[in-house]
Amino acid sequence: MFAKLIGCGVAALCLSMSNAVAQDAKLGELSIIAPAGAGGGWDSAARAIQQVMTETGIARSIQVLNVPGAGGTVGLAQFATGAGSDANQLLVGGITMVGAIISNNAPVKLDAVKPLARLTGDPLAVVVPASSDIKTIDDLLGKIKSDVAGTVWAGGSAGGADHMLAALLTEAAGEDPSKVNYVAFSGGGEALAAMLGGQVVAGISGYGEWQGQIESGDLRALAISYPEPIEGIDAQPLKAQGVDVELVNWRGIFAAPQVSDEDMAKLTAAFDEMVKSDKWQELLKARGWADYYLPADEFASFLTEETQRIEGILTSVGLAGK
Amino acid sequence: MAEVAPGGHQRWALDRPKLVTGIILLAFAAVTAYDAYSMSFRSAYGLNPNTASYLVAGILAILGIGHFISAARPSEGAAVVEADWKAVGMMGLALASLIACVYFGAGFIAGSTLLFAFTARAFGRKAFIVDVIIGFVIAVLIFLLFNKLLTLTLPMGPLERLI
Amino acid sequence: MLLAGGFAQALTPMNLLFALIGVFLGTAVGILPGIGPALTVALLLPVTFKLDPGGSLIMFAGIYYGGMYGGSTTAILLNTPGEAASVVTALEGNKMARQGRGGPALATAAIGSFVAGLVATIGIAFLAPVIVKVAVKFGPWDYFALMMIAFVTVSATFGNSPLKGLTSLALGLWLGLMGIDGLTGQARLTFGVPELLDGIEVTTLAVGLFAIGEALMVVSMHKTNAEKPMAIKGSIWMSLEDWKRSWKPWLRGAAIGFPIGGLPAGGAEVPTFLSYNLERKLCRDKNAFGNGAIEGVAGPEAANNASAAGTMVPLLTLGLPTSATAAVMLAGFQQYNIQPGPLLFVQHAQLVWTLIASLFIANAMLLVLNLPMIGLWVRLLKIPTPWLYAGILVFAAMGTIAANPSVVELIILVLFGIAGFLMRRYDYPVAPAVVGLILGPMADLQLRRALQISLGDPMVFLNHWSSATMLAIAFIALVAPFVFKGLSRFQAEED
Repeated sequence: MFAKLIGCGVAALCLSMSNAVAQDAKLGELSIIAPAGAGGGWDSAARAIQQVMTETGIARSIQVLNVPGAGGTVGLAQFATGAGSDANQLLVGGITMVGAIISNNAPVKLDAVKPLARLTGDPLAVVVPASSDIKTIDDLLGKIKSDVAGTVWAGGSAGGADHMLAALLTEAAGEDPSKVNYVAFSGGGEALAAMLGGQVVAGISGYGEWQGQIESGDLRALAISYPEPIEGIDAQPLKAQGVDVELVNWRGIFAAPQVSDEDMAKLTAAFDEMVKSDKWQELLKARGWADYYLPADEFASFLTEETQRIEGILTSVGLAGK
Repeated sequence: MAEVAPGGHQRWALDRPKLVTGIILLAFAAVTAYDAYSMSFRSAYGLNPNTASYLVAGILAILGIGHFISAARPSEGAAVVEADWKAVGMMGLALASLIACVYFGAGFIAGSTLLFAFTARAFGRKAFIVDVIIGFVIAVLIFLLFNKLLTLTLPMGPLERLI
Repeated sequence: MLLAGGFAQALTPMNLLFALIGVFLGTAVGILPGIGPALTVALLLPVTFKLDPGGSLIMFAGIYYGGMYGGSTTAILLNTPGEAASVVTALEGNKMARQGRGGPALATAAIGSFVAGLVATIGIAFLAPVIVKVAVKFGPWDYFALMMIAFVTVSATFGNSPLKGLTSLALGLWLGLMGIDGLTGQARLTFGVPELLDGIEVTTLAVGLFAIGEALMVVSMHKTNAEKPMAIKGSIWMSLEDWKRSWKPWLRGAAIGFPIGGLPAGGAEVPTFLSYNLERKLCRDKNAFGNGAIEGVAGPEAANNASAAGTMVPLLTLGLPTSATAAVMLAGFQQYNIQPGPLLFVQHAQLVWTLIASLFIANAMLLVLNLPMIGLWVRLLKIPTPWLYAGILVFAAMGTIAANPSVVELIILVLFGIAGFLMRRYDYPVAPAVVGLILGPMADLQLRRALQISLGDPMVFLNHWSSATMLAIAFIALVAPFVFKGLSRFQAEED
């Protein structure tokens, strides 16, 4: 009975899905590990790569494998031990994974795999409810200075990028970052409700998640954490407003630990081509992601610096693993 | 299952399953309390994350003692029916072979086929080969549905790579 | 009127076909144990990419409703809830199926889902702006108070021994502690296993305790237990009596489910617990519940579906995805450059009304597809027992590894299966464990969140009238039975 039903499902699905197969692809049959469940940020990044690379014919076919768990560290461990020198296996990761490795004290770290390319970067927005007395980022820093405990923040998961930015801002205001009163919510959605309900003072989330409320005037965006101004976003970077803080929620792609230099060059070229394709640029625009591309070598040195910096931030809030 | 304890104290009728459950509950409580005790992080405001751990450990301990008291009382519950342990063991083998197949990389299809066939056998089916074939067909169909159409990858093995 | 325009847009023969395909695919995938609506929608999302926005929205709505409904079918027929929100459905629904009343149980679930979906969709169309204003005011203190009300209702699932019921509940609470604490990032009870850092998946526990535990129990007794419980008895359709007993629970379930679903952290499970308990309290025949009461299927199923529709309120008006399913739907909208949020109703009014019309159509399509299917589903139980349970085990294992392909997850599933077997064998109810795992972490998180915001002042729960009222209700519900018992004993002594 079940089998019959599934058979019908197969037939129906066949009707509606037919992927065009590219003739002369540069890469063979790839499989990308998304170290998160279906539907999450890393999963959608992996599936975006899948879509663009197969449509542009850069890769013949791509399979996305979801390995959720512990901020991506479970997927990382599986990839680092299982991929060996296989150039056809890739892993998606990002700033949250760097943070999770540190706070969970994960046995396998990002130096176990080869950085291939940094792809996207989302700006974080610092916002207050429209009814708040706080009008500028300086007002907010002043509020932190006068009452660090009473400055209740709302944002995403503990130890994530939002939490890091709250700690950096508390430090920038001259207060002890370990005193930051950061209330973690599961994702920007619940944090948004807490903001609109006036239960917290300020909030941090990816700009895209709260874009609607910022444009409608329900929330006031004081600043974004991106280094430069972004077209279409009125809020100015923290740096431009005299606060020396920057933090970008970046996502990148990694290759297997023992991949040969030859394969590495081929992969780097393929990703370079993908990032420059019109399809990728269109997709970035549709998803509201910023292009934050860095090729392999520069990504590697960026990663070293970023890891050190994040370790410092997490230690300051008491979240670094022991 | 009221039983008579060995030795001279014949007036004590102990309910052994309840006694064992009580011991397990106390062990859980101890582990939980130890885990909560060894947590180092203190939250700056409000309650610490180990408050709930202590609360649950407390509940478990109380329930454990409750089981001891209840075990010592004369039991009015119906006796537990004798189980067919051979069949249960066969099903355990079915589940274990699935885990083994996934762990050692034999893949989803092999694992599900064995799971199906051994489970059917546990229920008294004799036609093992027929069941293996049915299980195999179901497993292949599921695999095709997930891997090829829903692009959700099930554990791969040599068989899966052929498809 | 805008809604009429939406219907005009949505009601083309082609779109009706898309709705039908969507409902069919959603039901077919959603029916697999362990694969809840969120995963169903995520998996089938790519299917809709190829269509134009109107057609894909309607197919999407179909998949969504189909996925929601699919979980209850296995809960009723096989005592295997496919997702957390169908756990309560399994309690009475499976009892009904065992008495050969699987047909009416499935019918009341389908029609209840339809009625609740209808009520809730009307709610979305007309009440969304009001509900959302109340919903964002709901603070952590209010959620905690709501959890307390839900906790009190758990006793309804205890069976006849409070000691055993509480033990099962405590097991769930204990499992709920596992993983990284959401507020501080501190790991609890993970024993150094990285796979445990994300905590125990509710579906893994539900599938393990119910499906695998049940299979082990049945096999352990298959020689001594000659009873063949699942024959079809009487009509597979609902009798007049069934209708009479169902229509009020449908409406009450919808009334409970829709507003709670509209809360940003309300969830689909809590309303099903509340509805089950309410129907049990209101049921005149005290022996009906626990022996296959149709009210216990009708109410929770309606509540489940209404809360699913309720999650559309914050999604459409705030762009706030409040459940995993809603988060996946948000990703679906973004494919068409639609950003749900406060401006959606202004900027894309036509599209919103098309979506609402699509929800109506998909809802109706669910009924059209599933009522005739009931006969087919019930016949599922005629499969010889060995193959039936072998099939259940294969599908249960598959659902678990498809969602998370890891050996650790499989081992956890099997351990829960063994626990479920032992609990059944020694007469411990399994449902409270699932309830504990759902409610425990939520209550813990909201309690500490509230105290963090109030800087440790417990008066925060009493200073807000809403949370104070709910806590009072919870307290009364907890002590009232004892007081009444005491009073009646007192009166008995007086006489």
